[in-house]
Amino acid sequence: MGRKVAAVGIGHTVFGNLSEFDLVDVMGYASLNALDDAGIRGKRDLVEQVFVANMGGGIINHQTGIASSLVSRIGIEPAMAELVENGPASGASALKVGYMAIASGLVDVVMVTGGELMRTITGWKGTDFVATLLHPEAEYKYGLSLPAYGGMFTRMYMERYGLTERELGLVAVKDHQNGEKNPYAHVRVPCTIDAIHDNENAHVINNYVAEPLRLYGMCPVSDGAASIILCAEDSPKMKEFTTHEPIYISGISSATDTHCVHNRKDPLILDAVRLGAEKAYKMAGLTAADISFAELHDAFVILELAISEEVGFFERGTSKDALTRGETAIDGKMPINTSGGLKSKGHPVGATGVSQVFELVKQLRGQAEKGRQVKNPKHGMAVNFGGFGNNVVTTICSRGGV
Amino acid sequence: MIDFSMYGKKKPEVCAHKCPGCGKLYYPAPMVCDDCHERRDPAGVEHKRWEKVSLSGPCTLLAWTRLFALPEGFDKKYLLFGIVEFENGLRASGNLLVDQPETNMKLTAKVDVIKEDLGEEVFGFQFVAPE
Repeated sequence: MGRKVAAVGIGHTVFGNLSEFDLVDVMGYASLNALDDAGIRGKRDLVEQVFVANMGGGIINHQTGIASSLVSRIGIEPAMAELVENGPASGASALKVGYMAIASGLVDVVMVTGGELMRTITGWKGTDFVATLLHPEAEYKYGLSLPAYGGMFTRMYMERYGLTERELGLVAVKDHQNGEKNPYAHVRVPCTIDAIHDNENAHVINNYVAEPLRLYGMCPVSDGAASIILCAEDSPKMKEFTTHEPIYISGISSATDTHCVHNRKDPLILDAVRLGAEKAYKMAGLTAADISFAELHDAFVILELAISEEVGFFERGTSKDALTRGETAIDGKMPINTSGGLKSKGHPVGATGVSQVFELVKQLRGQAEKGRQVKNPKHGMAVNFGGFGNNVVTTICSRGGV
Repeated sequence: MIDFSMYGKKKPEVCAHKCPGCGKLYYPAPMVCDDCHERRDPAGVEHKRWEKVSLSGPCTLLAWTRLFALPEGFDKKYLLFGIVEFENGLRASGNLLVDQPETNMKLTAKVDVIKEDLGEEVFGFQFVAPE
């Protein structure tokens, strides 16, 4: 499968409200964090190609040509530079394109930087911006949005599998337990099931947003950026990267599904998740049982449960039982969203896919903060969910020699 | 005085699109038929034009939500949305105008004004209780 590709540097900004800063400065900050982590700030000319992931710069920030702007801002001209846009899965798509560029033999060293500034506009405008990825005539014009499909999906799942609102709340509680300990996370406040569900006044802080999904069933709107530097293992340039153990991209793939959610035979079956994961497993020579932990795209908490079933961690309808048994907690058999997930860490759409793989690399290196380090992980999986499941990218990262 | 603006004004409708090759119905319109691979030419110049079939009437509610986080341009506290299935098997998303929705309830799909955009009326599906 082409050349072996290693992640040799990772960078991240804090996720949150960065609206006082410039989009390309925020991306540049994460990129320089990655260059520093890789130990090549003074040898930036090693980077031959940059792929930038961003969904809404042209709409929200009224800025285009963002990849060209970034290479100039961080002083790595004449490196090649392009923008990759795949909605909320832009980050993992850019990483996939980076992998392809190296595997093809075209280049040896690639920087992938994803970033988004979404809080510079109002919530109403932000919701409208993300909804532009829906079908213009059959979905968008009605005022339908991603949270609306999240709500409808949740209700169908609850009615079919008997999932309760309390169990949905437990996903948020688990995510916040991890996110509290992640210095880059947006919402680091503790979250208890009493506060968001059991208490008679829980609804005061946890009102409905898209029934039956409540506020704590949704990710926040965030700003931020993340960056990863990739190098071909067989390249002489690999010897320049000595600061950390290389972590390998052992599997990366994606799949698409119908644009309109209503055109899926069974809207609860996420073909793009399952098919992308199957291809990534095959490429890595692994199965679901080999994965030590995962970052799953929980823009809505239901998606953590549904994706974990679709990639084969649990049987359909049983992920809630694994959750209540603590299997997906940081010390469980299959820790999920060790970073806090989109729910707690936040979701700057273009950055999210890169941030998920940043977390895989950090965990596999053994560098996660106290209380949220998975014990001796070998393989991590990230699922970056674009649209409402119409373009989904799966990445598997592995330690060398395993 | 004659109101000329009324000339040529058609009753608003939402249409399914019928493949001229095999007769399969689609909503919304694709550019090629999944089954017989017949192309659709929106201008009807190089390939056949696909027949439009008005889509409305009896349907069943498959999924619904009450959405409080509305995009800009919808000045409401909340809106209800649903996905329905028509008797011919086609499905559609749209506005749900029922106070107490229940999954699998029988509804009627009609086409009416769903919003105004800079003074222009925008038409679309409204799913209502059958009369």
